[in-house]
Amino acid sequence: MNEAPDNEEPLPLAGLRVLDISSFIAAPAAAVALADFGADVIKIEPPVDGDPHRNSYRNVGYPQSDKNFPWQLDGRHKRSIALDLKNEDARKILDRLLQKADVLIVNFPPPARERLRLRWEDIEPINPRLVYCSLTGYGESGPDRDRPGFDITAYFGRSGILDSARYEDGPPGLSLPAQGDRATAMTLVAAILLGLRRRDQTGKGGWVGTSLYANGVWAHGTSAAGAVIGAKLLPRHPPDRPRNALTNLYRTRDDRWLQLLMVRDDRLWEKFCAVVERPDLLADARYAGRPERRTHALELAAELVSIFAARTYAEWEKALAGTGIPFGVIGRLVDVIDDEQAEHAGIFADTTNPEIPRTVNNPIRLGFARPRPAGPPPAIGQHNDEILHETGFSETEIAAFKKAGALG
Amino acid sequence: MTETGLPLAGLRVLDISSFIAAPAAAVVLGDWGADVIKIEGPDGDANRKIMIDSANYPKAEVNYPWHMDSRNKRSLTLDLKQPAARAALDRLLAVSDIVICNFPPPVRDKLKLTYEDMKKVNPKLIYASLTGYGETGPDRDRPGFDVTAYFARSGLLDAQRYEGGPPGVPVPAQGDRATAMTLVSSILLALVHRMKTGEGSWVGTSLLGNGLWSCGVIAQAALVGAFLPPRPPPERPRTALGNIYRTQDDRWIQLTIVREDKLWAPLCRALGRPELLDDPRFAEIGERRQRSVELAAIFSEIFATQPYEYWRKALAAHEITFGVISRPQDVPDDEQAVHAGAVVETAIPEMPRTLANPIRVSFAEQRTARPAPALGQHTNEILSEVGLTTDEIAGLRSTGAVK
Repeated sequence: MNEAPDNEEPLPLAGLRVLDISSFIAAPAAAVALADFGADVIKIEPPVDGDPHRNSYRNVGYPQSDKNFPWQLDGRHKRSIALDLKNEDARKILDRLLQKADVLIVNFPPPARERLRLRWEDIEPINPRLVYCSLTGYGESGPDRDRPGFDITAYFGRSGILDSARYEDGPPGLSLPAQGDRATAMTLVAAILLGLRRRDQTGKGGWVGTSLYANGVWAHGTSAAGAVIGAKLLPRHPPDRPRNALTNLYRTRDDRWLQLLMVRDDRLWEKFCAVVERPDLLADARYAGRPERRTHALELAAELVSIFAARTYAEWEKALAGTGIPFGVIGRLVDVIDDEQAEHAGIFADTTNPEIPRTVNNPIRLGFARPRPAGPPPAIGQHNDEILHETGFSETEIAAFKKAGALG
Repeated sequence: MTETGLPLAGLRVLDISSFIAAPAAAVVLGDWGADVIKIEGPDGDANRKIMIDSANYPKAEVNYPWHMDSRNKRSLTLDLKQPAARAALDRLLAVSDIVICNFPPPVRDKLKLTYEDMKKVNPKLIYASLTGYGETGPDRDRPGFDVTAYFARSGLLDAQRYEGGPPGVPVPAQGDRATAMTLVSSILLALVHRMKTGEGSWVGTSLLGNGLWSCGVIAQAALVGAFLPPRPPPERPRTALGNIYRTQDDRWIQLTIVREDKLWAPLCRALGRPELLDDPRFAEIGERRQRSVELAAIFSEIFATQPYEYWRKALAAHEITFGVISRPQDVPDDEQAVHAGAVVETAIPEMPRTLANPIRVSFAEQRTARPAPALGQHTNEILSEVGLTTDEIAGLRSTGAVK
């Protein structure tokens, strides 16, 4: 099946109004995915500074660019209204917006929600049909519920992923900026759609949510399920000390990493020795059979290290292709962005923002609709007047709100 | 099989998929009330044996990965290469809402399992497709796995390494399980569409697409020509206050101090080294950044003098922000994991606890996990439900079309 050639039908979430009152990445990225499929997303931000994610691109751990690439990704399709939620007039505006909304996405820590009267129990009386979507770091109750959670701490550190994702005796594994946030966004989308389904069935809104911690544990689920029943967890041997030299990583002359995956070495060993032009290995008694090759894995790995280091990845690809010896390369993003297959998989899309002409699609593909093309993300409060008019406020009221500082 | 009150009660799902990402999506639908029928070939889903077959899986007496990926499913064995079994499948498709498929495209063509094939039988059907690399293109037929498609091809493993070091290591099925949530979302969108239009549809996702989505920040950066700077190893951090340190008992503490202006003094006190406050080498942020290697060496020595529990308490007492690098074995007994709804009880005597899917809703609880089915355990029951007679079932068994 191929994806929809054109949007012949309205997008599946057209007509849905979403208030994104969240910050940073996981929760706003869920709002992006809803907008990609037609929802009208209003981003409610504090005046002046806005969502702090507007400045993430200056983070030292991020790729350095003078273009605000993360904001393009997580702000696309949204309209921005700047509200000072501590101001009573702003609260009047928020309540009116809530009355007309279908979904609210919140990621304040619980104490802030309480202070700002943004808990589900505060909002249910205003709009009982609302789907209230909550993201926390560590859950809605328990000793750490009030703790701000980030991707790296809650999803990766606390869940055990970083400890599992390391080579024996080495430092913990590394995660990438917002890697767990974005995976968690897909869970939030599913949670919201379940809430909407239930509303269609019963007419009632409700609370839905997830936590970064639970998503990390879910991603780590296989090993965690093993840990739950006390299974012995195995340390990962580094590439210079593999358990099996024939399913291991090797560095090529041009500093690429080749993944050798020769599971059927019983069948392929002879061919392999021919391809790498080392008949002496075939004749070597230390590597005669599978058990011998496992016993002498370290010596064999040392041989393979020098063999693979002698040629570039492209040369190896040519030599190994069509031999039936399974291998792959550790891809680099610099190549991936021009990977023809990534285009086919619908991963990247053109935008109408001249400054950032291409972006990353959310991974959901639908046969009946394509995601909306992205324009530039909004400036802080860019749509204040437009949204207030739509919500039914008069010019006089809007002027009064401005005077009272509700809009900053 | 369905339970009332759950948001997906009344939906029938055919899980014609194998291994992890696609079956895990079916698990989530089952958790929320759908009746999930797992259709397996005569040898069963290879995921039944993955704990033994994969060198990287923790070994146990209990087949925990299979329970995890098959809870609350019923198993029907059909040899779809046989026309009689394929005809029985059509009977099922006619009364189902969702089918989940992850065969590579050539197999779908051969077994008449494409969306076009199934749509003829049931135009209201939602067909959810998982591939490694997408539905078209040069690599569409290539089997994709979590480690190759989600992690290696996407550039994730290349980016997840310390400067000069080998590529990162994924944990088993990490990308598969994240992808499962995307597949669930796509299916729920198709249900929205069906409610509005009365029509079924094709939806899907790819492991490669999910890998790139999860590293969207750096992928978007690459699209504007910016790349992640190499990550210095812990002994050469850019800032010693955002770095990891090994404790006396070989655990790791992850300092994540963003508000350095506020927290430098409490940190020195928490570490029991207030004299660092007066050390001119580290007086200001700029100096601390410039001498980060020197400062990291001092911190490394300090952290190595006490066990993890000591540091956890000392840092918390001074309100220093730090991350816990838990070990997998710590998670099941972490009280917070229970509060987060991640660790739950089951109705499986040999595996009394498991991991819930990460979606929470106020109006329903996920179904309690019951044991994963034996191969073909529910074959008769399911075929009878869709109207096959005892004689018809016996006929299918005699030819080996069902087992």
